[in-house]
Amino acid sequence: MQVFFSIGVDALAYGMVLFIISIGLSVTMGLMRVVNLAHGAFAMIGGYIASYAARDLGLPYGFAIILAVIGTIIIAIPLERFLYRRIYGAPELTQVLMTIGITFCVIGLANYVFGPTLKTIPLPAELQGPVNLGFRTIAAHKLFAIGCGVVVALGLWFLIERTSFGVKLRASVDNTAMAASLGVRTRIVYAASFALAVGLAAFGGVIGAELLPVEPYYALRYMVTFLVVVSVGGAGSIPGALIACLLLGAIDTTGRYLVPEYGEFFFYLAVIAIVWVFPRGLLGRAK
Amino acid sequence: MKKLILAAAAAILLSGAAYADVIKIGVVGPFSGPFAIQGKNFKAGIDAYIATHGNKVGNDTIEVLYRDVPQADPAQSKALAQELVVKEGVQYLAGFYFTPDAMAVTPLLQQANVPLVVMNAATSAIVTKSPYVVRTSFTTWQTSAPMAKIARERGVEKAITVVSDYGPGVDAENAFKTTFEKEGGKVVESIRMPLSTNDFSPIMQRVRNSGAQAVFAFLPSGPTTLGFVKAYNENGLKEAGVQFLAPGDLTQESDLPALGDAALGILTTFHYAIAHDSPENRAFVEAARKAIGNPAELSFPSVGAYDGMHVIYKMIEATGGKQDAKKAVDAVKGLAWESPRGPVSIDPETRHITQNIYLREVAKGSDGAYYNKEIKTFEKQPDPGLAAAK
Amino acid sequence: MSATEISAPFEQAKPMRRPWQRDLAGVLIIGVAAVAGYFLFPDNLALLTRIIAIMLLVLSLDLVTGYCGVATLGHAALFGAGAYAAGIAAVTFGITEPLSMVAIGAIAGAVAGLVSGVVILRGHGLAQLVLSIAVIHLFHEAANKASTYTGGSDGLSGIAPDPVFGLFAFDLWGRTAYVFGIGLLILVFVLLRILVRSPFGTLCRGIRQDPIRVSAMGASVKASLIKMYVISGAVAGVGGALNAVSTQVVGLDSLSFTNSAEALVMLVLGGAGSLYGALVGTIVFMWFEHVVSAANPFHWLTIVGALLIAVVLFAPKGLYGTAVTLMKRFIGSRQ
Repeated sequence: MQVFFSIGVDALAYGMVLFIISIGLSVTMGLMRVVNLAHGAFAMIGGYIASYAARDLGLPYGFAIILAVIGTIIIAIPLERFLYRRIYGAPELTQVLMTIGITFCVIGLANYVFGPTLKTIPLPAELQGPVNLGFRTIAAHKLFAIGCGVVVALGLWFLIERTSFGVKLRASVDNTAMAASLGVRTRIVYAASFALAVGLAAFGGVIGAELLPVEPYYALRYMVTFLVVVSVGGAGSIPGALIACLLLGAIDTTGRYLVPEYGEFFFYLAVIAIVWVFPRGLLGRAK
Repeated sequence: MKKLILAAAAAILLSGAAYADVIKIGVVGPFSGPFAIQGKNFKAGIDAYIATHGNKVGNDTIEVLYRDVPQADPAQSKALAQELVVKEGVQYLAGFYFTPDAMAVTPLLQQANVPLVVMNAATSAIVTKSPYVVRTSFTTWQTSAPMAKIARERGVEKAITVVSDYGPGVDAENAFKTTFEKEGGKVVESIRMPLSTNDFSPIMQRVRNSGAQAVFAFLPSGPTTLGFVKAYNENGLKEAGVQFLAPGDLTQESDLPALGDAALGILTTFHYAIAHDSPENRAFVEAARKAIGNPAELSFPSVGAYDGMHVIYKMIEATGGKQDAKKAVDAVKGLAWESPRGPVSIDPETRHITQNIYLREVAKGSDGAYYNKEIKTFEKQPDPGLAAAK
Repeated sequence: MSATEISAPFEQAKPMRRPWQRDLAGVLIIGVAAVAGYFLFPDNLALLTRIIAIMLLVLSLDLVTGYCGVATLGHAALFGAGAYAAGIAAVTFGITEPLSMVAIGAIAGAVAGLVSGVVILRGHGLAQLVLSIAVIHLFHEAANKASTYTGGSDGLSGIAPDPVFGLFAFDLWGRTAYVFGIGLLILVFVLLRILVRSPFGTLCRGIRQDPIRVSAMGASVKASLIKMYVISGAVAGVGGALNAVSTQVVGLDSLSFTNSAEALVMLVLGGAGSLYGALVGTIVFMWFEHVVSAANPFHWLTIVGALLIAVVLFAPKGLYGTAVTLMKRFIGSRQ
């Protein structure tokens, strides 16, 4: 029983970190229909900004997070304006080529500017060290990540399902021409949701930096993981992404606890099994 | 062709010495990609050697050519080595961070009449693949086995091994297990985890439940070590008194600033620490830091490269600049010198480097920087891996 | 997938010529390029042979992605299966005759194609991509685990192929390997031209454009796709075996996600849906990578990234597709 709880806590924490980082990708892929392989690159940029702010400038952690989110969005605006706008509605393969190109450039530049070493984001004293849960200890920052995940999930759900922005976004995605003729400024809606996705990526990059440390190859190293959780959940579905992250987090954690030697098999066989049963993802919308 | 003759004639006239040659050394390593920092260290070690010893041996000028294999890719490595030999006419091949890349090149050496100086790749068997291979780095067996003796000395009865599931990880596991059990200890469990593991918390729970007094770990240097060391602390293993043991790959100097306080007190065994106290090392570190640009990026592959250049210079001296792989390799068999890491020699039998292995503890200096503090020396260690494989 | 529909208009542009004449021209172009490569870059033959092996992988990917519209990031599984099968045949079972090694590679590739086709074709769109990623990781992990046969992460070395036809030994300069590779490439190319023009090839194109209509016509979509996957696997397996024969070593990287992703990038770069596009994309990408990484190994990734972005912006149909369009416009304006 204790083992069960122990795995459960780890799985929850890992799943939530995955959720925070990849939910932005679910927005771009599911709602904007862009296969954005550069998502990890934006998470990485957020991590670098936060690291620079907190470690080199000595700013407080909360402030570093805000700076990271805003800074990454500012960097992303010209990219959206000049590059992404060209590939909205383009074939998937073209999108893949463009976003992989962007990822390569970001990696090269990060390597040049920050060097190849690991960059840490110093945590405030309250988030450091272990917390005793009675049956085991867990890192305080993991509890923080779980909290952040819940807030992000609720906030996004509210934004997309309950606000006028959400209505416009869904309208623009479903039928751009119709939405535009009804007076929705689709370009602005697209730019805003892109900024939202990028901001979420940066936020996740900072919160998740304890598990996925920031270094130039971050952008490629975890790209597959992000792509897998989003697609298993069903792109564009927030509850779907949440369930997928928790489920895959649980499978991954259990696999690594029980049979670490075959952890990789365990995880990917599970992915195949899930997609086999739900070919459009857990809560994916039919086309 | 005419142009070439003219150019050659001009070169001879300009250099003034009729017999002066340019001797090319081809270095293959990861200069881009996730392991770029290790390639940078190759280059820093080589540049440091040239800066302190000049770029001439006798009348011959040394020229180093770099070729990039970002990740372990034996086919690419072989194609590049082949090109270096036939197109660039290199007399020496050197570098090689990954074992498969070095293994792929060994069949070329005999026909190409070129010695290979391995500056990092750490699987014991490489030197057996061709008589023209010399290695100036270390093997995982060489750096891991002494740790088992330390563990026994410190009264550890039961240990658990946790390694990344690939060649070097398996080597480290075998080295520790064999030696530890020979010394009368017991390895209660051996965990192999996939290279792609990000969250080590479940593994640490298993370590905890195993009841071992010490955990011996091996992961490749780089990002994952950070998560691993943090998970060790956060899951209360440090508090519970489970000793953390590892070969020095885990606490390489370029990762230490990121590991920070979490790494304090970790015991590692390795062939080289940047903090090693000797005049040779001080001179080396100064030159290498200048060469690499950012001093925080300096790490162990630089010393393998530096000593590799030393061996190549000796080979060039012995052959008088003529291409003769057999003579070159024979000349350095038994060669002994004072390296930045301490006294070393090339074993005439195995052509692998015999060197001191140090027990180190991660400590914080008076300037607030973290370093590997040497606390014990195992002198003149050969590679036990080859003997074990027989 | 409009980027893939480029070869059809090209064929309509010159209705007068017979198809086999155009194929002959294609083979001639490859032959001339091969001879030129041999004499212009006599010291780079090892690299050129590697390019040929990767060309076979990209051609094979073109069959399923360009002609059938299946998106996959796991195609190296087929290539790696061929490479390991040929390597293991030589090292463990002593089959060192090069053509037999290639045949074994082709068979192993076809089997791997069958397996991954059955798995990957279950999903659509993104789910399909994810299945392909899972497949490549499973293959990679399996090869890592079976280290007794594959050498694991140390790589499978000690492959020593016999001379080709018992006459031409594999040499240091890579001449034999290069000629051997060109021979395989031309053979495969001719077979593939016949395949894509056959009724079966046309059916596959139809599936890409409208699978529902094809199944309404009474053809089995799934069976056709799996058949194409098996053929594609054989082609990739030949490429893998060529790689094993010419470099005499096989590493886990041949079964990697990176290898798969790079192949896809090369295909889209050249222009999917056309065999020539696959060839052009591979040459341009690998040559560019080689030149830039030798000139500046420390920053070449940024430059390659910029190249990819530039291609999307200025040559959205891929290099070959865009060149064909430009040529047509040029000819059209003269008439």
